Amino acid sequence: MTDLAWLTVAEAAELLRGKKLSPVEYAKALIARAERHDPHYNAYLRATPDIALEDARRAESEIRRGEWRGAFHGVPYGLKDIVDYSGLPTTAHSKILQDNVAKADAVVTQKLRAAGGVFMGKLSTHEFATGGPSFDLPWPPARNPWNRDHFCGGSSSGSGTATASGFLPAAIGTDTGGSVRNPATMCGIVGMKATYGLVSRRGVVPLAYSLDHVGTLTRTVRDNALMLDLIAGHDAQDPGSANRATGGYTAQLGRDIKGLRVGVLRHFYTRDMQADTEMTASIDNAVKKLAALGAEISEVSSAPLGEYLACNRTILTSEAFAVHEKWLRERPQDYGALARERLMAGAFVRAADYVNATRLRRKLAAEFHALFAEVDVVLTASSMDPACRIDDPEALEYTYGRQSRAPFNLTGSPALSVPAGFDANGMPLAVQLVGKPFSEALLYRVAHAYEQATPWVGQHPELA
Amino acid sequence: MANENLNIDDVRKLAADIGLTRLTDAHLQELLRATNAARARRTTLGNHTLTYADEPSHVFSLHTGDAT
Repeated sequence: MTDLAWLTVAEAAELLRGKKLSPVEYAKALIARAERHDPHYNAYLRATPDIALEDARRAESEIRRGEWRGAFHGVPYGLKDIVDYSGLPTTAHSKILQDNVAKADAVVTQKLRAAGGVFMGKLSTHEFATGGPSFDLPWPPARNPWNRDHFCGGSSSGSGTATASGFLPAAIGTDTGGSVRNPATMCGIVGMKATYGLVSRRGVVPLAYSLDHVGTLTRTVRDNALMLDLIAGHDAQDPGSANRATGGYTAQLGRDIKGLRVGVLRHFYTRDMQADTEMTASIDNAVKKLAALGAEISEVSSAPLGEYLACNRTILTSEAFAVHEKWLRERPQDYGALARERLMAGAFVRAADYVNATRLRRKLAAEFHALFAEVDVVLTASSMDPACRIDDPEALEYTYGRQSRAPFNLTGSPALSVPAGFDANGMPLAVQLVGKPFSEALLYRVAHAYEQATPWVGQHPELA
Repeated sequence: MANENLNIDDVRKLAADIGLTRLTDAHLQELLRATNAARARRTTLGNHTLTYADEPSHVFSLHTGDAT
């Protein structure tokens, strides 16, 4: 049988449904793998093998009785530790919330549990989804499975590391300025931030209300679409939730992309910022590959990247400070230095600047959405640089803002990071695909066509 | 607020004014860096492109069901 660590959700579902794989044996294999390797990678903040085995036994009896619930029945998953799982602490990787036991499941957790998923544990994050990687917190930061001396991206860092390490095939993360797509890029996996409002945020610790998205990290495009199929949906109790039909995200997988119009947003990574040469080359190669698959390529332009980033940070820091003001007054010493500094950045943002940023946001979003009259999908960089060393504060500081993900938290657009090769040091490279609102199925179609035409999906890290 | 950078005494006073009274000197240095960076960012916001007709992205609106 295939190495269980590298089974995709789709492959596992087929084996589980056909009773060719026991959910219990599957869970035990992944638990053992994480116990052996995770002390070197810190993907799990709190592994929950007892819950996993209980879930797996239940799934096994249900499937044996012919009560198969769907693609996630008996499949292991993990949650970034800002997502509530009833009865377990949601710490946000912070001393501030280390005793914060969730009273109920987040909506995404409810959906994964109802689907018969096997809960493997809570995954490391940057403190409150912003401060990391940090070594002054109650738990260590997650590390990159391709080289444990390197940064794995964040803030959904454990979600990226666990998925890329074969500790589980799918994880939930969150994304306010790029925090699903960054670890996906750094770890060589697939990360989707769907359209704002497509996935409920209820039961998730907020960073910035108007920019927060819940997202999916998997090793393949198909698995990502399967997971989004499961967790998308209107939630009347989430004020940002979109009231519209969802699902069908796997429907276009396998269709060709002949004639689809791909607009390359090149000035983001060649003029507004200069991406690393290997990253730029990997993006250029991805464009050539899409052209070879029949896509019509053109170049598109928008407002400068810096304008989007300044707008995102002004809104993000203002809203985040509003969330944290009480704790920063009463318990400033209980934050790590990085989170404290990033959260205090909103302390003295003028009200007029916040309002003007939201006005600019509306304008930027309208301009960006107008591009889709000319193209079906936009392609641009995710990160400007491959993962740097985790013990190099200057490199971390330098690369932290060198990204073009945050624009799409502002515009609310669906945005997907897809593996696009490796640099000379063996660290992953990636491209980002962006669509018009609620066009996730089309994004997955393009990403899947690219994935199937390139060798990256079958490559896995050798763990310490 | 003037455009020039703040110093540690400025930021200590501003912090006290909004109740951030438990910050250590190291915390105040963090706040100083963060505040100066935020102030510098203001100059890169594209406010000059806005006209008075450009409304915020979250203008409050009521739905039919909200009427009493």
